[in-house]
This record gives sequence, structure tokens and C-alpha cells, in this order.
Amino acid sequence: MSEILFYLGAVMIIIGGICDLFGAIGLLRFPNFYVRLHAATVGTIGGAVVPLFGVALLALGADFLPHRYAIAGASFITGIIVLLAAPAGATALAYAAHKAKLVEWKPKVDHLAEVRGND
Amino acid sequence: MKRWVTLILLLAAVITLAYVFQVPQPEDVRPLGEFYLENSYFGDYSAKSPEVITSILWDYRGIDTLFETAVFFLAIIGSLTVFRLTREQEKEVKTEPTQMEPLPLPIRTVTKVIVAMILAVSASIALHGHLTPGGGFQGGSALAVAPLLIIAAYSKYALENNGLDKTRALILRSIGLLGIALVALVPLLSGSYIMQNQPIFPAEINGQLIGGSLIYYNFFEFLAVGAGFTAVFLLLAIPEEKFKKILGVRR
Repeated sequence: MSEILFYLGAVMIIIGGICDLFGAIGLLRFPNFYVRLHAATVGTIGGAVVPLFGVALLALGADFLPHRYAIAGASFITGIIVLLAAPAGATALAYAAHKAKLVEWKPKVDHLAEVRGND
Repeated sequence: MKRWVTLILLLAAVITLAYVFQVPQPEDVRPLGEFYLENSYFGDYSAKSPEVITSILWDYRGIDTLFETAVFFLAIIGSLTVFRLTREQEKEVKTEPTQMEPLPLPIRTVTKVIVAMILAVSASIALHGHLTPGGGFQGGSALAVAPLLIIAAYSKYALENNGLDKTRALILRSIGLLGIALVALVPLLSGSYIMQNQPIFPAEINGQLIGGSLIYYNFFEFLAVGAGFTAVFLLLAIPEEKFKKILGVRR
């Protein structure tokens, strides 16, 4: 049981590292603000939430660790808070940038405008 | 290529320096540390708090901590003085502008959930201050994030309409300060020293370890710091246009 938890947690932490790397590359290479925001959110959800859950599983599986339930609980709660907060923060940033017209807006597809145009 | 060489050289230098100047690890507890441990954790006249640093901060260096707290409150009083307003101006600052578009729904909903979580976490940091790292100041600082988030996601008017305005925050802060002063002065009544912890305050109540006066100090500091920060955040959230109007700045 503890071995399964160990491997599951380790895989999740590795996934987190990969997501962080991709998020960083995306932040550097993507063309405009909105797409970069997507890369940043990949970095927070994939690179912080997933490894935090992984740490929780690892701690649950480690029998020798003192206070392992406290560590697992704290990581799990922190992961949930980040999971809730990151999309809300990204939404707020995108909304503010769009509202203040700070970023050039050149959509390839605008479903919202199509829907509004059909009304 | 040149940048890579610089980077590698820097990294090598840092690692070499860290290796050469290793901090010597102490082999056993020094006499002073032993004295503090004996008298703050193990002894009969001790708070029996496993978080020895908190007991030392409030017991042995209590006056020091009290004046550190006083510095923070002087800073808050200073910012309140900078933002002083007459009664009409206060009313002007509190009136809500008519056309205000709310933020998208996901942001507001998530803020509600997270504010509730922050309240729980900050209370836990403050009230476990005698058991785990943390304490009143840290818990209060965490508490102050909750009104800050509400100001960001809704507005300062949302806080004020729900009853938490600057005056209430200041009253809460004063209650916290008064509590700290009272807990510090109570030992004088029974002929002990100021800010003395044991044996005036019980270390345990019903088998629950509360660390003597530590939990009271932590709670009141939590209240005072959280409310003080909230008052300053409410002042900082006053829109610029209102201040321009009050000060009579021409555009």
C-alpha cells in the first residue's frame, strides 16, 4: 500500500516539474498576454497543485515520517486553496486587461460576439 | 556562450563558498539554552509550552515584545493621522458610486470560499501559538488578508455595508490592546511582577494545555493586528477621485 502511494506521489511530483517547465517556456515564447496567462495557469495548477497532492500521498505512504498526517493534510488543503484561487486570479487578470484595453485584442475566433450578433 | 561561462562560474563560486564557510553544528545544548528550556518547558513554574520560543518571547522578553508591538501600533496611528478626515468627508468617502460593474461571478464566489478558509486558518495559527510555530502577530497578519481580498474582489463599500468600517476596526484594535495591557498588569494584583506568567495563570485547564498567559496574549495580539491592518487597508482603498474631490485638486 505504501509503495503504491509512494510511486503515485512521485509521479505526480514529476508531472508538476514538467508542467512548471512548460509553463515557463510558454511564458517566454507565447505571442500575447492572454495566451501567456494560459501558460502561467498551467504553471500554477499543473506545477503547484498536482505536486502538492503528490506530496500528500507521499507523506501518507511514509510510515517512518513523524506528523505524517499533519503534513499530508496541510499539503492537501494548500493544494485545494491554490486550485480554487489560481483560476479566479487568472480570470481577474484577463478581465482587467480586457476592460482597461491595455492589451491589443486580435481574436481569431470570437464565439461571444457571434452569439451576441445572432440575438 | 559567455553568459553560460559566467553562470557556471557564479554557481561554482556559491557552492565553494557554502562548502568552505560551513556553519559549525552545535554538539549539545549550551548552558543558556539549557536554562531557558528548564524554566520555560520542564520546570514547575513554567508555561509547559512546547513552543519554547513563544514562552521566551512573552515571559522572559515580555517588555521587549510589548514595545515591538507598540512600534507597529504607532505606525498604524501614523497612517490614521495622515488620512484624517472631517465628518462630512468621512460620509463622502463612504458613499458608494452609482455605476460600478461587479467582477465576473467566478472571482466573487471563489473569494467567498477563500475568505472563510483564511479566517479558519488565521484563527488556528493564532490560537495554536503556544503549541506550534506562529502566534498572535502571524495569525493577525493572515487574518488581515481576508478583508483585503474582499476589497479587491468586491469593493471597500461591501465591507462597510456589512458593518466593518474604519471605526469598528479601530474599536476592535483597541479591545485587543486593552486585553494585552490587562493580561500584562493582572500579576501585579497578587504581588507578582509585571507580565509574569506562572503561577498566576494556569498552564492547563481541564487537561488542555493553554500555556498560562500565552494564549491570552496570542488571542489579543491576533485581534489587534488583524483589526489594525484592516483599518489601514480600508483607508488605502479610498478611490483617488474622492481624495481629489476632498482636497480640491483641479484636473
